[in-house]
Amino acid sequence: MSVQPLRLVTVDLAAVRHNIYTLGRRVDGPHVMAVVKANGYGHGAVPVAEAALAAGATYLGVADVTEALELRAAGITAPILAWLHAAEANFDAAYGAGIELGISNIEQLQSLTRTSALNEMTVRYNDRPAVVHLKIDTGLGRNGAFESEWDALFELAEQREREGFIKVRGVFSHLSNTSDEEDINQLARFNVAVEMLREKGVYPEFRHLASTAAAIRLPETRLDMVRIGIGMYGLSPFFMESSADLGLRPAMTLESRVIAVKRVPADTGVSYGYSYRTQRASTLALVALGYADGIPRRGSNGAPVWIGGKTYQVAGRIAMDQLVVDLGPDSVEVGDRAVLFGDPAQGYPAADDWAAAADTINYEIVTRLGERFTRRYES
Amino acid sequence: MNPIAPDAEFGPERTRAATPERMAHIDMDMFKANVSMLRELVAPAGVMLAVKANAYGHGMIPLAWAALQAGAESLAVLDIPAALELRAAGITAPVFTWMHDPDADFGAAADADIDLGISAIWQLEAIAAAGSATAPRVHLKIDTGLSRNGATVEDWPFLVRAAMAADAAGSVKLHAAWSHLADASPADDAVALARFHEAVDVATALGASFHKLHIAASSAGLRMPEARLDYVRFGIAAYGISPFDDATGSDLDLGPVMTLSALVASVKRVPAGQGVSYGYLHRTEGESSLALVPLGYADGIPRFATGRARVMLNGKQYPIAGRIAMDQFVIDVGDDPVEPGDRVIIFSQGWFGEPTAEEWASFAGTIGDEIVSRIGQRVVRRYIGVGYDIDTGLFQPGDDS
Repeated sequence: MSVQPLRLVTVDLAAVRHNIYTLGRRVDGPHVMAVVKANGYGHGAVPVAEAALAAGATYLGVADVTEALELRAAGITAPILAWLHAAEANFDAAYGAGIELGISNIEQLQSLTRTSALNEMTVRYNDRPAVVHLKIDTGLGRNGAFESEWDALFELAEQREREGFIKVRGVFSHLSNTSDEEDINQLARFNVAVEMLREKGVYPEFRHLASTAAAIRLPETRLDMVRIGIGMYGLSPFFMESSADLGLRPAMTLESRVIAVKRVPADTGVSYGYSYRTQRASTLALVALGYADGIPRRGSNGAPVWIGGKTYQVAGRIAMDQLVVDLGPDSVEVGDRAVLFGDPAQGYPAADDWAAAADTINYEIVTRLGERFTRRYES
Repeated sequence: MNPIAPDAEFGPERTRAATPERMAHIDMDMFKANVSMLRELVAPAGVMLAVKANAYGHGMIPLAWAALQAGAESLAVLDIPAALELRAAGITAPVFTWMHDPDADFGAAADADIDLGISAIWQLEAIAAAGSATAPRVHLKIDTGLSRNGATVEDWPFLVRAAMAADAAGSVKLHAAWSHLADASPADDAVALARFHEAVDVATALGASFHKLHIAASSAGLRMPEARLDYVRFGIAAYGISPFDDATGSDLDLGPVMTLSALVASVKRVPAGQGVSYGYLHRTEGESSLALVPLGYADGIPRFATGRARVMLNGKQYPIAGRIAMDQFVIDVGDDPVEPGDRVIIFSQGWFGEPTAEEWASFAGTIGDEIVSRIGQRVVRRYIGVGYDIDTGLFQPGDDS
């Protein structure tokens, strides 16, 4: 295909593999779960999952059962854990497709063991329990069993495991990244929960707590498995350290093309509200990306755009479908590439730069991209 | 290492039977009422309805049909592929599109009778080179101050002459002149409108004649009657969201069309002092119930709204507690009753005190256009209104005639 798509996301799967390999070596021992929720943080869940597995990840993590079933439908047979369930979650389909389920409370466990596919007969003939990971809230206040619920949940889990309905393969929690001290407190609470579970006679194969940030910074949280999300995509979870500082390569390059060019005099207003005016005679380039594509409007007036080997700034308000770049005295042609972010090692702005310009984090920049992009994968 | 083989009979379609946990209800009657009201307001000028960006996140095809039923004469989309989607859905009304990349398929557009906005001579050349048997209607764009698309004052006479030559050669039909306002201030927009008329005069002096002139979008369509000309390109107002900082949609007699909601995924009781979400920005004041809502910034809920946003649950309003995460946020309901499966309204029409998309825009430091157009694809759209099939969003008139 010679035609360059107008709105293009290129995902470098070699970078994904490099990042999984690099982080796998760094944690040295524990299993790696590759987290591909939210369509692989906007990168495309299936290709990223396949690349991560090829690089040594042994598990996949997603938010909900629907996402897990999409991976299965694509032919992926690796273990998949899904942990964010609707009140009416489809545990029946999850069990059928061999999806492992994060269980946060007694109601979910009861709902699982009541599903029609997993009744006593199924267990008897298939000898196939539903595989679960018990989720513990150690402080984040989101999903997970709160301390007062541990005893009853663990008791029921032990009973259901003994009866052959379930296999408790994992126990896990999620850190708040508030501070190293708070995260260590969460680890201590997690260890208390694990000990209580073992006293009930349940011995999960996988204890997992750390995601990318803690996997890098707090070795004691790595336990049996680490869940790698943002780091796999080559982005840093830390404000003070870049991708390169961590030995990671950003996998996503986001670009469009220049669709119009004009020379304007000094003091020309640009885009809605004329919130930007040219300081001198300038070349303005119109780029076909806007907030409907997920380019944050808060990046107006200042976010970086790479054109022809140099990085310029967005001039004026980002609109629904387009933005303007002021190239000053430089020239540009209709059809030239305009890269919003990519790998800084290749000279492009970083997703972190867009995050800073839009008062948010790099996760949101890549995850909320819209539907109009063509996605291409480089292997 | 996986001991469990997937069963073929269970696929993603099985999950659709349950009530979707994240939903955008699109009120088609409200949308049609907005379009009708706008049409009456600007008559005798006509209405071109903008359904670009997937109808600002509402769903292009159903909204396009509804706009035409409500009296819009024509439709506007960003680019040729979107225009062709409208044609493929069976829509025969005029469809206007104006953002073209160098590889745009002008031949397909001409074959499909798409009206083309033209900003540069290379676009006229590409249309001629495509060699369609049908000469498309072209609308010449003049830049009156926005500095985006459109010919500059210096380039305008050349563009007009090239279009006249192409018209004479039979590769296009010169149909309209148009521009787009910057909404900077009434004075700035008046200057832009004057520039537009000057440009039309220049073209006329060169011998061009235009059947139609258009410059106003929602804001000028509502507040600048002299800019309505032959028709107004209404976008955001039709979706019930005000284009102004100093007036809400309801001040303008517009009703919000989209309601975003989700079902509580889980509830837990926690003691006082419990931190909530990343960074523990929120801590419970007393013993409290926390409800987990399965919507996050991956779904288009802006993370920047953390600390300001509120939602409605069981008729009561609650602030979002702690950081909005990728897939979820938490509300702290204190001692109020809440059950998994209860519906949380993120934004709606505001009639019961729940936030509107406009209020979400203020929570997130942006405009309502960005709030609705960024709602992601995990959110199921449901079309409601008299005669609508709730799953497909298509109008299916009953047999009660």
